[in-house]
Amino acid sequence: MDAYLIPAVDGVAYGLLLFVVAAGLTLAFGVGDVLNLAHGTLFAFGAYAAAKISDGSWGSLALAVLVGTAAAGLGGALLSLLLTPLAGRGHLAQALLTFGVALVAGDRLTAMFGKDELALTVPKSLDRPVDLAGHSYPGYRLALIIVAALIAAALFVVVSRSRAGHFVRATVDDREMVAMLGVSPFTVRTSVLAGAGALAGLAGALGAPIIGAGPRTADLVLMLSLVVVVLGGMGSIAGALVAAIAVGEIQTIGVANPDLSTIAPFVLFGAMALALAARARGLLPSGRSA
Amino acid sequence: MRFLRYLLTLAVLALLVSFAWTLDRYATGMLTRILIIGLLAVSVALLTGVAGLPTLGQTAPFLVGAYTTANLIEHGHTIGVVHLLAAAGMGAAFALITAPLVVYARGVVVLMITLALGELTSTLAGRWKSVTHGTDGISVFTSVTPLPGLADLDTESSRYIYTLAVVGVLVGVVLLVLRSPAGALLRATRDDARRMRASGHPVAGYLTVAYVAAGALAGVAGALLFTEQSYVSPGDGGFDVAALILLAVVIGGATSMVGALIGAGLVVATRDWVAEAGHAPLLLGLLFIACVYLLPNGLLGDHAALSYLNRLVRPRSRPAPPSGPPPAARIPAPRAPAAADETVSEPVSEPGAAR
Amino acid sequence: MFLPRRLVSIALATGLVLAGAGCAKDDDKSGSAGAASTLKIGFLGSLSGTYQAVGTDLKNGFELYLKMHDGKLGGHPIDLKIGDEGDGAQTAVPAATKLVKEEGVIAMTGIVGGGSVAAVAPLLAQAKIPLIGSNGRPELKDLNGVWTTSFMSSDPGQSIAQYIKDKVNGPVFAIGPDYQGGYDEVGGFTTEFAKIGGQLANPGGKTLWTPFPQTTNFLPFFSQIKSSGAKAVYTFYAGKAAIDFVKQYKQSDIKDLPLYGAFLTEGSVLQAEGDAAKDVFTTCNYSPDLDNEENRKFVAAWRQQFPDATPTTYAVASYDAAAVLDRAIAAAGSNVTAETINEQVAKLGQISSPRGQWQFGKNHAPVQKWYLRQVRADGRALANTLVQDLATVGQ
Repeated sequence: MDAYLIPAVDGVAYGLLLFVVAAGLTLAFGVGDVLNLAHGTLFAFGAYAAAKISDGSWGSLALAVLVGTAAAGLGGALLSLLLTPLAGRGHLAQALLTFGVALVAGDRLTAMFGKDELALTVPKSLDRPVDLAGHSYPGYRLALIIVAALIAAALFVVVSRSRAGHFVRATVDDREMVAMLGVSPFTVRTSVLAGAGALAGLAGALGAPIIGAGPRTADLVLMLSLVVVVLGGMGSIAGALVAAIAVGEIQTIGVANPDLSTIAPFVLFGAMALALAARARGLLPSGRSA
Repeated sequence: MRFLRYLLTLAVLALLVSFAWTLDRYATGMLTRILIIGLLAVSVALLTGVAGLPTLGQTAPFLVGAYTTANLIEHGHTIGVVHLLAAAGMGAAFALITAPLVVYARGVVVLMITLALGELTSTLAGRWKSVTHGTDGISVFTSVTPLPGLADLDTESSRYIYTLAVVGVLVGVVLLVLRSPAGALLRATRDDARRMRASGHPVAGYLTVAYVAAGALAGVAGALLFTEQSYVSPGDGGFDVAALILLAVVIGGATSMVGALIGAGLVVATRDWVAEAGHAPLLLGLLFIACVYLLPNGLLGDHAALSYLNRLVRPRSRPAPPSGPPPAARIPAPRAPAAADETVSEPVSEPGAAR
Repeated sequence: MFLPRRLVSIALATGLVLAGAGCAKDDDKSGSAGAASTLKIGFLGSLSGTYQAVGTDLKNGFELYLKMHDGKLGGHPIDLKIGDEGDGAQTAVPAATKLVKEEGVIAMTGIVGGGSVAAVAPLLAQAKIPLIGSNGRPELKDLNGVWTTSFMSSDPGQSIAQYIKDKVNGPVFAIGPDYQGGYDEVGGFTTEFAKIGGQLANPGGKTLWTPFPQTTNFLPFFSQIKSSGAKAVYTFYAGKAAIDFVKQYKQSDIKDLPLYGAFLTEGSVLQAEGDAAKDVFTTCNYSPDLDNEENRKFVAAWRQQFPDATPTTYAVASYDAAAVLDRAIAAAGSNVTAETINEQVAKLGQISSPRGQWQFGKNHAPVQKWYLRQVRADGRALANTLVQDLATVGQ
């Protein structure tokens, strides 16, 4: 069992990181009613910011987080603007538009930062192994677990306690009802997409040393967060947290165990297809919009 | 009018055939790729536009067909017709196995399920090394013979003519079937599955038949792909390819098979030719955006049908009756010959189509 | 009602195919060239993705030779057509197809990945275009027209097996990327290691393959190595994958196990790995310190062109590929075709290279000496320091 301690911890690091990204995607879907295929690209904003700005000092990491979060938040707001003319056109049109935006932004990113996978530098004091119950574990990842857990906790507090969070939950439950309360759908969508983008950018800036910063990053993150959102019940934050940790563990324990590693690559999308199909056939409680 | 139509169709076909002798190798190769992606796009349009199952997963039977062909050639079977039949069979079998996951869902859920199926298939293609050679792909440069006794397809133009013939015949068959009562039943299922079910139609059965047929078409496209490039790898069926084909179909208008072919042409030409100096993602992305804003119904889409599609894709919007003829008018009784076909923009009320 | 729509579609279809047609028929591009006509050579290398650093070095090495020879090979001005191999065969085949069919190149060089070579070789064989490859090189059934100036991908592992057997007191864990290049590189080690009685720590004696190129987190694999009871690790990674592997290795449970490898610390990746690379052992067929005239010329020119970069074995092999083409084209005289270039390469004999003299063996790859290096501090910077000679490998 001891052999799986490090992979299990690492799965939590991955899972919490994925949760921060996927929480944005699930909010955009549940509250903003937007299927945002450019979400992975917003993560890449943060990742490139970290790759270019973070040079081993704490200040540079803080700046990278700030720049990445702000850029991705702005990107989210811009997406909302671009989506305005598509009111009433449905998710397919949204998917095509956001995918188109992702292609254009991806091309601009490679034009700016090159086509290679960039190397990441983390703060010097974290760039060393720490002792974890007799095992070595990268210090940066341990710090990431703590920070991501704090972000997750803050997110839960905001959604469950604040006035904005009240609207968020109400909108997930019944969008038409909230619309009748006189809150403009544009305002709701723009703030949610900007917030979702900021979460993605934040995750990108913090998570680039683990997930990477390169031309493949956006697609990888989009796919993983889609799986998390679907398995988490499309719109549910708590569901996304459980699903994200599960996905993280599958990607680490599933790799560390030689017997599991043959099937692990198929588990994520297999579970996604089965969950959706089961819901479509009425075998699972019907999630909203599904 | 009909005469004129045939004449024009013939003229286009003649022009396409003549390209085998008038174009250089690279342009001929690109046209071949357009036809192959076009056939795949037809299978996507059949599901997305006609059956109401928007899909990102036809790359899966496409890969199945390509790997089937690759394995046949590796084992010394070089007869093209054998490849086509085997690839169609394997593509159809793949669809039959996965149909229970797909045909009960609607709208964006289908999109996500098929996306997952596509990812699973390309992952399998990267892992099942004894059959697929892993992510390195299979590369066998042995020329294919269409039928025993015919010449080998060892030039760019001979492969182009072979592809043109196969794609032409299959698209013709699809168009004929869509005009038949079978096509009308499929459209009626798309437009109002509940009403169809209530009047005793096996809705899931109809959709399964369409899904299996589309799988066979995609399988054939895969066989043609391997014949053309003598190489296949998991990347030939990745998410980016699936998204491009969906774009091609949306450009073409989703309900139109000819539109899907033209959309495929635009997309492949943009990717491989216009974007020669790089930046293909930029141009394709702009194409996506322009298409969403400027062509809400595509180039050749059936407007009335597309409003149904939008409604399907967004199940929570108001259940207001869509503009256009009432759904009831479009549902044929079982066995009754029906009218609407994809060349007609306003079904039933169009006198020319009533036959 | 339907006529206009029909017309729209046909007009569009016609316009599209005409546009797609683009250029008029223009065959016979690749016929024999006159006395000093310009020749098109295709270069294929990873200019994006995991191996971007390797591909860039290959390109720089070839272009440096061209620059030092007035842009000419064998007296002919060279038009170098560049293709991006990306992460492997999936992107390499379309890029090679384009170089062959659209550009009509007369010979091809470069190619980072062994999988790309295996996939592109049949395409080149069919078009009868010689490949003067300068990096990865798997076993191939048909060697006609394939020449490699670097090494067989299995050579590095083979060269270091005896040394590891002698130094490591216990089983060794073998791990590598899951594609052709990985199978060859790590397979070269495991085959030779088994032959001389070495024992692998891997369960069932099976090498652990990591998904390529998507693996960026190696920690779960390191947990497997830890529980195997290995006393040392042998691996092959290059480019960005090498950076991830080495950095995470030194923060993991197995940070104290000696790490042996091929190309782990070669080129620009060493700087990115930083202190994590300290003490790593690698085998290589070149060192910038080698004392011969060709190397002095090469290193001087390289330092002038790229003051911040150490010359690598990648650049040397590509530089040599240009030299091979230079001599073969010159020897072909007035009848320079793909076929005559291929015939002349076969007759070259000894080639003077920055790594010393070598010639093509039975495998159409060099027979050459390999060296053991260890990463040590050299002043303030880290460097691959020559430790001792290893075996001479090749046949």
